[in-house]
Amino acid sequence: MATGREVRAGAVSRRRSDTRFAWSAMAPAWVFLVALIGYPLVLVVLDAFSHVNLIKPTVGGFAGLDNFAQVVSDPHFPAAVGHTLVWTVGSVVGEYAVGLGSALLLNRPVRGRGAFRALTFIPWLVPIIVAGMTWSWMLNPDFGIVNSLLVKGGLVDRPINFLGDATWAMPTVIFVNVWRSFPFYTISFLAALQAVPEELYEAAQIDGASPWRRFRYVTFPDLRSVSLIIVFIHVIWTSVNFDFIWVMTQGGPNYATITLPILIYRYAMQQFDVGMASALSTLMLIGTSLVFVVYYRYRRKLSEEILG
Amino acid sequence: MKIRTYRRVTHAVIYVLLAILVVYCLFPFAWMMISSLKPIDEIRMRVPTFTIHRPTLDNFVNVLVEHNFTTYIRNSLVVSLAACALSLAISLLSGYVFSRFYRRRAVKYTNFFMLVSQMIPGVLLLVPLYITMRKLGILESKISLILAYTTFVIPLCTFMLSSAYDSIPASLEEAAVLDGCGRLETLRRVILPIMVPSIVSVGLYAFINAWNEFMFGYVFISQDANRTITPAIMLFKGANSINWGGLMAASVIAVLPVALIFLFLQRYFMSGLMSGAVKG
Repeated sequence: MATGREVRAGAVSRRRSDTRFAWSAMAPAWVFLVALIGYPLVLVVLDAFSHVNLIKPTVGGFAGLDNFAQVVSDPHFPAAVGHTLVWTVGSVVGEYAVGLGSALLLNRPVRGRGAFRALTFIPWLVPIIVAGMTWSWMLNPDFGIVNSLLVKGGLVDRPINFLGDATWAMPTVIFVNVWRSFPFYTISFLAALQAVPEELYEAAQIDGASPWRRFRYVTFPDLRSVSLIIVFIHVIWTSVNFDFIWVMTQGGPNYATITLPILIYRYAMQQFDVGMASALSTLMLIGTSLVFVVYYRYRRKLSEEILG
Repeated sequence: MKIRTYRRVTHAVIYVLLAILVVYCLFPFAWMMISSLKPIDEIRMRVPTFTIHRPTLDNFVNVLVEHNFTTYIRNSLVVSLAACALSLAISLLSGYVFSRFYRRRAVKYTNFFMLVSQMIPGVLLLVPLYITMRKLGILESKISLILAYTTFVIPLCTFMLSSAYDSIPASLEEAAVLDGCGRLETLRRVILPIMVPSIVSVGLYAFINAWNEFMFGYVFISQDANRTITPAIMLFKGANSINWGGLMAASVIAVLPVALIFLFLQRYFMSGLMSGAVKG
């Protein structure tokens, strides 16, 4: 029989070996995250205050706030900020509406529900480049199917140059983004809807609550938590998205869809000015951190409300 | 009687709405397929038709043979499979620790770091990553893409796998440990075999993420030999701005593997994603 002290000594050594195991099993993950996210993050902030050029190694030295001043005085900067806001808010609102509507629909007990759910999910699997190309082709003013149907249906007199017209370009890229991104909302809402007890609906129905009131007072309260998190994630994902706009318009026509990530790309890969690109990245990091703070406060308020 | 008609009407409305939803989701695919099988004169018709008068595989031959897409597909496969295997190996370990030692400080720190790093978007790190890869001398190689893709999926894979481990009772492995099995041995022999569905869904997520990624592939690789399929489509468009048939054929090629895998494994995938989504 082991004495109490031996047991305790055994527990301590077991605890130590557990700790060692825990750290070593997490080590590979740490190596990747530190080397390819942590280190670049530090680099981006340092470079924002330095003169760095991708192809001119002789350029160097401390820059102070020069890079920031240059970014802010870029004639395209104010427009890019505005477009980024429109692009983000428009996309997230659209995705939320379509996602919620489709989730409520797919939550109804109908035959073939599983198949409908799977099919709805497919746009999300498509590479962004493919979504962009396919819609560019469908919206093509000369040979595109959408314009052809619109003209034939008498909705428009002549084809619309959706991506080539400065007033249409932004709504069009937002529309395509909504098409590709909404399934993520659908599936998140569906997961949350499963947690709503069926009896609650029945009770509400027996009480004679209208469908709207049933949604407002029975369903929606349970969706608030998941709504908060997916809206937060998508505000960040959308505001920093480079691919969609780049593959569809490259920021055009005539800068009508230029956003901040496109500007970062242009600074870095076309003007090779790492300092400016890093300064703008740093500004965007500050922006996303602010979004995070807002999210965090809401989250706390919501948790307190739900838990009482 | 009245209630029954009411029910029937709502039922019909739901089916109509579902049909609209499915058309909205799938029409672009249908049109992509149709266009990819059309000869060039039918592609460039003022009034496009849904039927193909003379179906042809010319677009596919053109893309695959003349424009090197066989190479791009192979590169994409190599990169995606490697990124998938690597991220699985890493997050199977970290996810296990997350699940079994969740009270340890080590786990709390790591969890926080992963949450934060998941919120840092790739495009903001594009420039320093490019410079880092250049310093490591792996720019223009598949390794740069494999490392980048792995890094950005590690947090979510870890969270998803840790919730999968949570559903496996610890008593199972305690018995094996008492029998003198080491921790890794127990993990491999006892736990992983029961986890196959979760591993499939997480691996699928990592694979699809890598297969679909565009920006890093576009920026890190400028030579044809190592180019992956998504940047290749972009460059194909730039070089042949009017070859929509070829572009649609390339798109079909890029979508098909992912769509097929998904349709076969969607049951695993949907439930895995749903649990990850709720947890996150």
